[in-house]
Amino acid sequence: MGYGREYYLAYAFWAAFISRISTSWMYETMMIEEVESGSINAILTRPVSFFEYYLGQLMGYKVLTTSASIMVPVVICLFMELPVDLLRLPLALALVFYYLVLVHIISMIIASLGFFFTRIHHLTVAKNITLWMFTGEFFPLDLAPEPFRSWLIALPFSSAVYRPVGYLTGRLDHATIWEGFVSITAGILILGLISSLLWKKGRERYSGTGA
Amino acid sequence: MVSIETQELTRSYETYKKAEGLWKSIEGLWARETLQKTALHPTTLRIESGQIVGLVGSNGAGKTTLLKLLSGLIHPTSGSAKVLGFEPASRKPDFLKRISILLGQKNQLWWDLPAADSYDLLGKIYELDRNKTKKRVADLAQMLGCTAQLNVQLRRLSLGERMKMEIIGALLHEPEVLFLDEPTIGLDIISQTTIREFLADYVKERRPTVILTSHYMDDISLLADRLLLISQGQIVFDGAVDDFMARAESRQTLSFKFMQPPEVDLDVLPNLKIAAGTRAVSTELPASEIGEVLKTVMQVSPIQEIKIEEVEFEDVIRQFMQQDTQLRAPRGAATT
Repeated sequence: MGYGREYYLAYAFWAAFISRISTSWMYETMMIEEVESGSINAILTRPVSFFEYYLGQLMGYKVLTTSASIMVPVVICLFMELPVDLLRLPLALALVFYYLVLVHIISMIIASLGFFFTRIHHLTVAKNITLWMFTGEFFPLDLAPEPFRSWLIALPFSSAVYRPVGYLTGRLDHATIWEGFVSITAGILILGLISSLLWKKGRERYSGTGA
Repeated sequence: MVSIETQELTRSYETYKKAEGLWKSIEGLWARETLQKTALHPTTLRIESGQIVGLVGSNGAGKTTLLKLLSGLIHPTSGSAKVLGFEPASRKPDFLKRISILLGQKNQLWWDLPAADSYDLLGKIYELDRNKTKKRVADLAQMLGCTAQLNVQLRRLSLGERMKMEIIGALLHEPEVLFLDEPTIGLDIISQTTIREFLADYVKERRPTVILTSHYMDDISLLADRLLLISQGQIVFDGAVDDFMARAESRQTLSFKFMQPPEVDLDVLPNLKIAAGTRAVSTELPASEIGEVLKTVMQVSPIQEIKIEEVEFEDVIRQFMQQDTQLRAPRGAATT
């Protein structure tokens, strides 16, 4: 199935919007800063987990900013009569918010590297640029040639933009969304294990510097 | 009942030497030359519930490392620690709800929030009753004289005011074990006195187990029952504060100016000579010798200015270490 002008425009609008939700710059930077500067001590000495503390903040921030700004792409699409099925919006957003759990686990991995290396901020930049290419923000992933197309779509990162936007604009069906949930769950399990190991090892060598 | 118990508790750090230059930095990713530093040598301790222990030592002696190990902030390299029956490094919520650590040189409240909002959040973290928390904040703030600053953003407060807010935050959940790391460092005399007196009243009333580190002997002498002196990661004195003070020779710094500089060299004491023509003199000596020195020099010329100061606590410790030959070879562990 090819992409018509209106369809591509709808994809571009929603991709720009959804990708802002499914990316974490600010909180990842704050997490890295906590580890590098030693201000993480204030969290480690209290009955709260670092993971949950920042996941709560990330989700709260994303819920607020999404609620406040969602009308912008909706109004644009209605005004320009672009193809979009707004009844599909809740499920598409649910997928994106579930994907944020995976994003947060990746942030935990990068922040945990702060226990081993002196400066790790640049990893956030490198990671986000890489993920942009995998998410479908630059272009719809089904335009990529095989076998890359299948690989890119199978990876959990396609749930950041390609799957929810394709579903919202009517190009993809329900099954694609459920496949997205499964793919993210697999990503959470694998990266969650890596994150947990890195955190444990990092905490063992942590010297509480800065306190 | 024993609150804190350690068995051969040890902590070493590994750092790596970074060579100069870009290529050496890249090479450091896979071929690193590491350095090992033992911050705390095997230490065995027992601290009874309700005891207030002053932990003193010079910078880098290992005081903060011991506090960090006991509060679960860092993991031991070997040995074990039990605080209230918990292994600190495992960070069990039930353990963390019963202890508190105050790091005097570090903000633990939220920088951009007024302290009152931070306490609200801490109340949620520690699962405290909201009304009881509010009352406790009000009571503690009144005792510390900082009620008016509760609703001011933390970043806008002075160092002394911030420290009072940090103390309230540390005591909000009524910890059974309290680790105080330099609670009065950098504060002016008035703030130091207020905080010192507040802590003295607090520990008298609530009887938590406290380990206090400080560079100020006044903090230790007012608050602590027991003193641990730590040097190069080893505990070298463990006993009553009064015993330590009695054993450490009291030294003071004497400074004065002659109205007329002496015309000949003066042999005031075997180790104190004043050259002819000297106008201002400043020397550190045992308190017991000050009278004799003043008597001698005033026979030569009237004195214009005179100042007698307590020597720095670190100097007292150094002096103590030099005096006691037994302590020159630290024994590594102390028990009660």
